[in-house]
Amino acid sequence: MVSTMVSDATPLITFQNVSKTYPNGTEALREVSLDVPRQDFVFLVGPSGAGKSTLVRLLIREERATTGKIFVDGQELGRLKRRQLPHLRRKIGIVFQDFKLLPNLTVFQNVGFAVRVTDGELRHLKPKVEEVLSIVGLDGKEKKFPDELSGGEQQRVAIARALVHDPKIFLADEPTGNLDPATSWEILQLLLQINARGTTVLMATHNREIVDVMRRRVIAIESGRIARDEDAGGYHAQANLESR
Amino acid sequence: MLRRIWNRAEFAASSAWQNFWRNATVSVAGLLIVWVVLLALGSLLLGLHSLDEVVNVEKSRASVISIFLADSTPLSSAMDFKAHLERDPRVSAVTFVTKDQAMEKFRQMPALSPEVVESLGTNPLPASLDVTVHDIRDLAAIDKEVRASPLVDKSPATNYEPSVIDKIILLARVAGIAGLVLIIALTALSIFIIMLTIRTAIYLRRKEIEVMKLVGATDWFVRWPFILEGIMTGGAGAILAVAIVGFGYRPAVQNLQSVLIFVPFFYDPNFLRVVLAAMLAFGMFLGVFGSYLGVRRFLHQ
Repeated sequence: MVSTMVSDATPLITFQNVSKTYPNGTEALREVSLDVPRQDFVFLVGPSGAGKSTLVRLLIREERATTGKIFVDGQELGRLKRRQLPHLRRKIGIVFQDFKLLPNLTVFQNVGFAVRVTDGELRHLKPKVEEVLSIVGLDGKEKKFPDELSGGEQQRVAIARALVHDPKIFLADEPTGNLDPATSWEILQLLLQINARGTTVLMATHNREIVDVMRRRVIAIESGRIARDEDAGGYHAQANLESR
Repeated sequence: MLRRIWNRAEFAASSAWQNFWRNATVSVAGLLIVWVVLLALGSLLLGLHSLDEVVNVEKSRASVISIFLADSTPLSSAMDFKAHLERDPRVSAVTFVTKDQAMEKFRQMPALSPEVVESLGTNPLPASLDVTVHDIRDLAAIDKEVRASPLVDKSPATNYEPSVIDKIILLARVAGIAGLVLIIALTALSIFIIMLTIRTAIYLRRKEIEVMKLVGATDWFVRWPFILEGIMTGGAGAILAVAIVGFGYRPAVQNLQSVLIFVPFFYDPNFLRVVLAAMLAFGMFLGVFGSYLGVRRFLHQ
């Protein structure tokens, strides 16, 4: 694939007046514009149904924007052909609240699966899988099955799988939603570590404590609009916090 | 590169194999319906081919008409009549068959036991002039003309029987149409069932497919296991059907030959090979097409 030359100054992700209306009439996003520079770490917050998940789906082009343009790494997603989607998705690692591990495969096989089904370099499969498993701190658990692991460990496997293609963007959709506070912090540390290695991280979350403590960039979405976009923000707007 | 192809093939084959056994009931139903379709197809093709050959033989037989002569006809008159017929431009040959020769032919019919023949006593068979024509469409006219001659026996005057060939052709046509309708219906049914098999397999693997798409597998990488499963189902049904038709054709023909002794059935190994190849190809087609339909809608969200 021919990749357009993109300087480091251009944002990795750009939304230009993006609206998304589902066929049933639901307006999930309205006129959303935002830039995410390379190596940024962004929290995406907002009530359930506000449009966070739609934003994630638009980024991996599981959905198309109704109007407006989305650019990822210099490519306009609306112009991508269906057969180009796999290449987009290999640039984006994604994890969810429910991990989406395959229960009949071991930890090693779950991570290796992502290499196998994408025609990845098989000679490097084993070292690559071992490398990402050690990044997420699961060395020695290669032969375990998902149901033999704790929730936090399962999410680590999912993170390892998302890292196996060396993604430019790491999307985490409520990654700590099923985890206890201590484990959530461990996962967050891992995401910070991934971000420190140069990967742009977007994390959609309801976890107020994490957002408030981290003081990173926060994009708040309410009723499909960007209600707030501030660096070093909290879960709620400053005015809200003070009134409490 | 080789390793990559091997990886794809191994992934598709092992997934397809798992799919087949994971919902074995539906898979076996798919296999059986393909089997039935192909048995029907094979039998129909062979049956129609046999009828076609029978028609051809009957047509060549039918260009000969036997004119039965009255027992009272003197030999000289018979010879005059023969010469008269030979001058007719529509006629290519005339053979005189005496009463004794007729009896001899009659004796050789395999279906008749010698006792039956002996019990007849005196020879009841008439002498005949066997007239071969250039074009069987002239038979009716010749038949009509010779019936007027006083030399000709009246019961019956000739062996002209125009409806036999027509009946066979009609039979072939009816059998062909009925068989075709049956096969079309069964084909639709089998494609539908294979589609169902594949849909079930896709449903059982929905989690895996979701992950494959998320991590960036191509559409074809996701599709191949299911297409292969369809090919396996169609192919297995085809192989079973091919074995049965392949080994059963000769005994079936031999059986028919012993029951229907007057009908010239033949064993045609060349045509059999064509039919078996067609069955195999059609079975594969059913599998591929059914699974393509099964895969198409689901994976195109």
